[in-house]
Amino acid sequence: MNQEPKSPAAESAPQPRRGGGIIGKKLPRPDRSPSVQSYVPEIAKGMGVLLDHFFRNTRDMVFGQRNDPVLEALEPGINTISYPEQKRPYPERFRGLHRLTTREDGSPRCVACLCCSTACPAQCIYIEPAEYPEGDARRGYERYPARFVIDELRCIFCGFCVEACPCDAIRMDTGAHAVPYDSRDQFVYHKDLLLSFANRRGDHQTRNPRAESPDPGWPGIDRLGKHG
Amino acid sequence: MNALQLVSTLLKIALVLGVVLGIGGALTWNDRRMSSMMQDRIGPNRAVFVLPPWLARTLFAAPAFLVAGALAAWAYLSPAPASVAASVRATERILITLELSVLVAWIGLAALTARATRSSPANGFERWLASTVRDPRNVFYAGLAAHVLLIPARYAIAGTPLSASLKPILFTAGPVLLAVVVAASALYAASLVPATGFRLRMAGLMHTAADGLKMIFKEDFVPKNGDRLLHSIAPMFGLFPPLVVLAVVPFGDVLCLAGGKVAGVVPSAGICTDPASSVTMQVLDLDIGILFIFAMSGAGVVGAALAGWASDNKFSLLGGLRAASQMVSYEVTLGLTLVGAFVVYNTLRLDDMVRWQGENAWGIFVQPVAFFLFFAAATAETKRIPFDLPEGESEIVGYFTEYSGMKFGMFFFAEYLEIVTSSALLVTLFLGGWQLPFLHRDGLTIAFGDTVLLHYGMTHLSVTLLQVATFFGKVVLVCLVQAVIRWTLPRFRYDQLMRLGWRTLLPLSIANIVVTAIAVLVVQSSPGAANVLELLGDLTQGVVAAAMIAAVVALVLWALKPVTRAQTVLSSSAELAQAQGGTRATPMQA
Ligand code: SF4
Ligand code: SF4
Repeated sequence: MNQEPKSPAAESAPQPRRGGGIIGKKLPRPDRSPSVQSYVPEIAKGMGVLLDHFFRNTRDMVFGQRNDPVLEALEPGINTISYPEQKRPYPERFRGLHRLTTREDGSPRCVACLCCSTACPAQCIYIEPAEYPEGDARRGYERYPARFVIDELRCIFCGFCVEACPCDAIRMDTGAHAVPYDSRDQFVYHKDLLLSFANRRGDHQTRNPRAESPDPGWPGIDRLGKHG
Repeated sequence: MNALQLVSTLLKIALVLGVVLGIGGALTWNDRRMSSMMQDRIGPNRAVFVLPPWLARTLFAAPAFLVAGALAAWAYLSPAPASVAASVRATERILITLELSVLVAWIGLAALTARATRSSPANGFERWLASTVRDPRNVFYAGLAAHVLLIPARYAIAGTPLSASLKPILFTAGPVLLAVVVAASALYAASLVPATGFRLRMAGLMHTAADGLKMIFKEDFVPKNGDRLLHSIAPMFGLFPPLVVLAVVPFGDVLCLAGGKVAGVVPSAGICTDPASSVTMQVLDLDIGILFIFAMSGAGVVGAALAGWASDNKFSLLGGLRAASQMVSYEVTLGLTLVGAFVVYNTLRLDDMVRWQGENAWGIFVQPVAFFLFFAAATAETKRIPFDLPEGESEIVGYFTEYSGMKFGMFFFAEYLEIVTSSALLVTLFLGGWQLPFLHRDGLTIAFGDTVLLHYGMTHLSVTLLQVATFFGKVVLVCLVQAVIRWTLPRFRYDQLMRLGWRTLLPLSIANIVVTAIAVLVVQSSPGAANVLELLGDLTQGVVAAAMIAAVVALVLWALKPVTRAQTVLSSSAELAQAQGGTRATPMQA
């Protein structure tokens, strides 16, 4: 039952292995030669390795030529990140603080559909929807958030809001983590603050195209004509 | 005891205490910071003091201006000797001040170039440095050339009328130049302090200071059934012996003050013996020197044993017992090892031992086996890794389990002081104490047997200062070696420890005595041996000098080699870091 497939190496082995035992490369035991038993050469070897690291790292610290802890992390030397002087940039897909994306005219992309606040398991998004003013082409077709509030202290950074949004209006690609504050009300981010955040390229919009009211692709006028 | 002796003794005590406590404090820092660097980590350096800019500027500028003022006063007040050209003192003063000026300017420029090339240059001068000099290494080579060129320049013009006319000018101009360079460097450094304040971090020393402060303010706990009195005095018993032992360790040759000898050249043979006009560089001048050390360091065990007993804790008791038996065992080896050294040096006085080593050869060449045995036994005496069984923090926390606050701090600090003490002893007994190869009381004399290759006269004061610096430098080096041993080795098992002490080190030290005695007898009875031995002794001095120079050159060459590192960009983190030109703080990441 427990038969191993026979490999050429196993066939050529002089003695088939029986029972348990350690599988893998056998490490030679240190021999009990005088040089080992007298400790001194071995101590010297160990100290040599240590001093090599010591001098190299001390030199790099003194001359200010330390490894870059992210880019040169695989090279010998000190790879400690000296937070907060140095910070490892978060990876591309890191879910950081939210931002509200904008349209080309700078107004929020959000249409106040409440999908995100519905999806949010922590119930930390509060939205007050409002109609566009009379005469605006978008009135009757889409709404806008009069207030958009996220309690970042309550948020669990699950990203469900981003998934739920049909308009790509809320994103978590700022690359910034939640910041400590002195009091709870400071963690409550309002619409203007959320709109002021950009992604890591400094961009307030998104790359997903969106047709606006003058564009021929904008479906709102047709619908108004059909139903209005 | 006259006034001179009183004042000089107080000064010497202050010097020894200051230096030793300083080294001890630096060692506690070193043990954390440097041992992390060995493991490719940075270690604790996050404690930081933000000095307001005005304070930082004052701290930079004020001491430098004091030094500069003192130098200017010195240049103005000290009278020139009658014949400047012939005076060794004048030559020395010119040379030292010129070399120091070059040194200060050199280091300052190198640091400035490094700064200008790494961050954005602050002004036109820095821009010039960054664009033309480009690399701090170029400054280094230029400074080295300037240093080296001063020496042949001096010899080239020696004895010419140019030298005779130049010397009186330089006699005053040298210190003034140095003062100007020091003040200018300090001013420039002060001008670079950023307006947001200077972040005083001192490479992690602030962290050690914070630790010490913390210990003072922590609760002082005594176990309920412990012996209050013994519990309190045990740390003092631990701290006392390593400090008093240093009283008999000489850190320099006798300084003669009689008749203006300080500023002149004294003969190499003979020392001043008149106590009224000479200062021994030793706090306590004892005939039984080394025996005093044995008595005192033997008392060190009392602290650990008392602490273990008074704590009413089984682990403390175990630690105390281990300490007692370990230290008593190794004390035997420690004493017997040195008998061989006594036979060779023919004295118990530590200063005479050092003098013997200066005239003949360093102890490590005469008694190599004893050196290793003493090193091992002394490490065991300090209760440190690999002999730290009394502490054994991973098995029994040790004899200070029940100690907290500064009482624990005293035990802790005593351990580091013992490192300094044992290093000082090792230096004195085996590494030539204050001696530098070929440096005698009258200056530098490179001679093998009777052939003198070079003689360079130096004043008594500068020789003595050099010796004191040498001694403490050696002590720091040996302390570092001990620290490295601590970082390298794992702990012995207790039976291994005892076996090493009684079955290996003790028989070896006895054999060492026998072999040494026979060798000394043979040398004394064979007529021609003395000359050969003297030549051999000079050769060892040459070997030491060559090794020192080679080590420094190798270190500098290695340190100046440009470093090239390969970048590995596999993650989006690394891509973002590369895009911003390296890993640094970004404004959005709070
Ligand atoms: S990340 Fe999750 S918890 Fe935070 S706001 Fe979005 S849905 Fe709510
Ligand atoms: S952010 Fe998106 S999901 Fe949330 S209300 Fe606005 S459009 Fe709807």
